[in-house]
Amino acid sequence: MIEDNQGVQYDYVVGEEKQLNELIKGPDIMPLLKSAVNAGASSAALVNSAGETLFRYGDTDREAGLTVKKPVYLEGETAGHIIINGHSDRKHLLEAIGELMFNAVKIILQSNFKTLLATETHKTVVYQSYEELIETNRKLKLSEGKYRELASSLEKQVQERTEELNRAHARLLHQEKLVSVGQLAAGVAHEINNPLGFISSNINTLNQYVLKLKEMLSFYHAAFDKKGPSGECVEESKEKWKRLKLDFVFKDVDDLIKESLDGAQRVKKIVSDLKGFSHIDEDHESDADINAEIDRTLNVLTHEIPQEVEIVKDYGKLPSFSCNPAHICQAFFNIILNALQAGAKGLTLRIATRSANNMIAIHFSDNGPGIPESIRNRIFEPFFTTKEVGKGTGMGLNVTFEIITSYRGAIEVESEAGKGTTFSIMLPLPQKVENV
Amino acid sequence: MIEYDEFENKMVLKLVYYGPALSGKTTNLLSLHDILDQDGRGDLTVLDTKDDRTIFFDLLPFFLTAPSGLKIKLKVFTVPGQVKHDATRKAVLQRADGVAFIADSQLSEETNNSESFSNLEKNLEFVGLDIEKLPLVIQFNKRDLTNIINEDDITRIWEPTGIPVVLSSALAGHGVVETFRRLVELTYGHIDRKYLLGANHGLDKNMFMQKLTGGTVNDAGFKDNRHIAAEY
Repeated sequence: MIEDNQGVQYDYVVGEEKQLNELIKGPDIMPLLKSAVNAGASSAALVNSAGETLFRYGDTDREAGLTVKKPVYLEGETAGHIIINGHSDRKHLLEAIGELMFNAVKIILQSNFKTLLATETHKTVVYQSYEELIETNRKLKLSEGKYRELASSLEKQVQERTEELNRAHARLLHQEKLVSVGQLAAGVAHEINNPLGFISSNINTLNQYVLKLKEMLSFYHAAFDKKGPSGECVEESKEKWKRLKLDFVFKDVDDLIKESLDGAQRVKKIVSDLKGFSHIDEDHESDADINAEIDRTLNVLTHEIPQEVEIVKDYGKLPSFSCNPAHICQAFFNIILNALQAGAKGLTLRIATRSANNMIAIHFSDNGPGIPESIRNRIFEPFFTTKEVGKGTGMGLNVTFEIITSYRGAIEVESEAGKGTTFSIMLPLPQKVENV
Repeated sequence: MIEYDEFENKMVLKLVYYGPALSGKTTNLLSLHDILDQDGRGDLTVLDTKDDRTIFFDLLPFFLTAPSGLKIKLKVFTVPGQVKHDATRKAVLQRADGVAFIADSQLSEETNNSESFSNLEKNLEFVGLDIEKLPLVIQFNKRDLTNIINEDDITRIWEPTGIPVVLSSALAGHGVVETFRRLVELTYGHIDRKYLLGANHGLDKNMFMQKLTGGTVNDAGFKDNRHIAAEY
């Protein structure tokens, strides 16, 4: 069905049947009928195949007499008749008029039929071509739109890809850094451990020697007091004991040795934590105790935590979490360091852990200056930093974000200017398989 | 089918002569018009031609009445072969009941033949007709010329497709009626399956073909027509 621009539906099939009255009109036939009457017929008419009169001219009252009937062919079929009435005296004349009319109508019909077919076919072709053009136009517009969109989004896409590449590059750098830091830490730890071993061992031995010396010295001192070899010697010994403050030395040497041993012990612990933090020995997933990992991280950060900062631990009982502990420590490290660096005096950092709904929740809440709302949704972006150029990489929280999301976890931040910030980490536990 | 009017008990069918430019489609119709009896066929209408090239189409109607009183009108059309008249070809092809593809046997026309056949496939799809189901006959015309594709090649190419092939010389009247008869025969089968011409209207294939082509469905019939054509 084709519709033209006036909204008229146009549905023509080449070969469609045509009726006589579609092909022959008044102006075509009336002059002929009139001529027939003028030539001597009393009336002349054109009727269709059903016998209905389409056109008539002449006196219909005087029908009586002679009738000449001639067929009208359309595509070779009889489509109607020409009826000539007249006086019975005029048989030859009426026959001649009929023959003339037959030929005239035949020529008119043929001509009109061809014209109609040509016109309708042409119209069909034109409308069809028009429809096709509209369709082509529509498709062109569509593809033009696509190309426009492509052109305008290309720049954005390039930008996005570049950012993605930068991020990947930074992550790689960071990982490399982590690895080298870990290796360095492991190397240093190893180097320190050896001398630390003999320092501790020597101090222990020294302690035993000192005890022996002290015992011997005390024995001499006591013997001198009772009955010395000579009077002068006794006095001299007493004086020397006093001058050398040996009473104090005796007391202090124990403390010194004890403190030295403590110190060595502490160095040993730091080295062990450093090794544990870098997890250089275990670069694979294992069942970790999140609370222990937080403690480990805090130990590594000891020197960064000023005296006046208060760390409040509010640990809940947690199930073990399967992860790479080095990664998890790194994630905590960045959040805690951030809080410490942004923190004002009198900072309190509260670390709470809970387990519920198959999740481990970890909250780091500080009472620091808070994160301005304008940048709050950008803090996890790579390279985003509020620190001076060269001071911060802008990678810290991004690394945390990447680590947490790699465990299908979520990290959220709540902050109020001047009141503090809370980072909440949610780590989903593996679904328990329940027996039915 | 152009129309089927149950109330008027009338059926109008359409056959289309398709093919490349100057392959002899109009000549086929002129020949048919001359060879077949006045009885049962109408006038040939040749629409506006320019330098003897068809712009719109030619039309040759045939008539018959089934024993049941069903009036059947079969209109045979040609399409304009020239590439530029593709829209007209689509319009003429609409609702066709059968197609005779008139190929030019000259070796120089092979490309035009295959392009026109592809065009037929494309346009049949456009007007929603299935070339696999539509009655189709191929005529290799101009067999009277030299430098023509040989019969073995034609057989080799077309036999596997199952499409009937007729060799002809439309100008001399050879093979024209046979092409028409083959097409009419296939068309009868196609129409009979759906409208039960035989069962409901008492019109069997023989009668259908007898009325349209004045012969019987056998080889003798074809020979007769060739004889007539030769005489002509």
